[in-house]
Amino acid sequence: MHTDAAIIGVGQSAYTRRPQGGQSTLTFIRDAVVAALADAAIDARDIDGMAVASFSLAPDAAVDLAWKLGLSLRWLIQDTNGGSSAMNMLGHAVRAVESGAASAILVTGGDATGLGGYAKVAANFNTVTQLHLAPLGHGGPNGVYALVTSRQMKKYGLEKSDYGHIAIAQRAWAAHNPYAVYREPMTMADYLAAPMVADPLSRYDCVPVVAGAQAIVVTHPDRCPRGRAPVRVRAHRASFNYDNQEGDGLETGISTFATELWQAAGVRPGDIDVASIYDDYPTMVLAQANDLGLIEGNDLARFARRDIGEQRFPLNTWGGMLSAGQPGGPAGGLNGISEAVLQLQHRAGSRQVTNARLAVATGYGMTMYRYGGTAAAAVLERVE
Amino acid sequence: MTAVGETKSGVSIWRCAKCRTGCFPQRLLCARCHGDTFEPDRVHEAVVEEVSVIRHMLGQTDWQPRRIANVRTSEGLRFTVGLTDESGPGAAIELLEQGTAPLGRAKP
Repeated sequence: MHTDAAIIGVGQSAYTRRPQGGQSTLTFIRDAVVAALADAAIDARDIDGMAVASFSLAPDAAVDLAWKLGLSLRWLIQDTNGGSSAMNMLGHAVRAVESGAASAILVTGGDATGLGGYAKVAANFNTVTQLHLAPLGHGGPNGVYALVTSRQMKKYGLEKSDYGHIAIAQRAWAAHNPYAVYREPMTMADYLAAPMVADPLSRYDCVPVVAGAQAIVVTHPDRCPRGRAPVRVRAHRASFNYDNQEGDGLETGISTFATELWQAAGVRPGDIDVASIYDDYPTMVLAQANDLGLIEGNDLARFARRDIGEQRFPLNTWGGMLSAGQPGGPAGGLNGISEAVLQLQHRAGSRQVTNARLAVATGYGMTMYRYGGTAAAAVLERVE
Repeated sequence: MTAVGETKSGVSIWRCAKCRTGCFPQRLLCARCHGDTFEPDRVHEAVVEEVSVIRHMLGQTDWQPRRIANVRTSEGLRFTVGLTDESGPGAAIELLEQGTAPLGRAKP
């Protein structure tokens, strides 16, 4: 239990499918940082730590960003774990505040690759991708998770429409999020009629890449703006290269620490009021939720059809990346954390989950070869 | 995004000199025994487990659909190949290699 550090404020930039001239990764991050500082009611001069993750910051590094933001720091990290970077950075930041290494930390991430730039990132993700996947025309992560999805369908008896329940439910949540790039309602007919991208994945199974950035402020709970509940981390765990890419990818690294996570948090999966599960593909939402123990009896089909399809379980209540957009993996993970914070602070507006007190958030990423190799999760709590 | 180079029979793998475990792609240390010496080897056959057709590629306007597959060898190695024919799940295929790209097609 981390009692002497909390998330007190969140901020984000606008999201756009196609960045315009003058917009860059740096300008989106600036906008998110300005919004987070204002939301946390904290002066930039009081920030003494920063964590950043981005696929498109280079040739700049974290210290260049600090310089351009005018931040003089005593704690600085740059995380390279893609979709689990945000959750990693949260863990580092909480421990840094509690240890006294820093007192107020900005955790930020963003990307503005554009669609062509993203294609280059996908084809050159690591040396294995360059050597053994890209020459096949594998389609980037779409091709990888198409094969994972087929495995999951076979193993759990899932139908294409089961994934549709996730996309449709999240789209319904996105209608209440002014930042989401796709907010119009989606029906199952719309979902099933969408063009195929990489069988069995069709358009609404594939996360839309956007340009944008997110930021949160982690500091001592007593610095939270008056009248607002700080959000603390009851437990945090992470996993890296959990199986050497020798499994089927249907269990994530979360499976290695889920029991320990819940024990450390002192709560059970059934106690959770709202969940932010990293959703680059619906397949991985189901895999992570199952690893966390959120799916009773490992019955993925019933979870998709009943709990999500009938909107019994508040999952990815900002619309998820599938509807709100994925501003690169790192900031995409921050999106889920930020939404959990808004829900726990009872500031989520028309998408507010009544009396939300406990949330679980995850990160998943780094598609090293056949599936992702990094994962992290945290149980977050509203401090009354 | 197109395999280039000479096409050879089989796919290159690396076999730990200490415990004989095969691996693909290449590693620095064996995941089983952490041995640091590998011997080159080749695998020539596999069974198709899952197939996808890549119908769309970001940034490409004249993309032609192509098939990829997850395959499993008799010793349990799993990797991704480009399929050059209509082989489907359950099919036994022969493995080929063009440059560093693993490919597969129905056994003759």
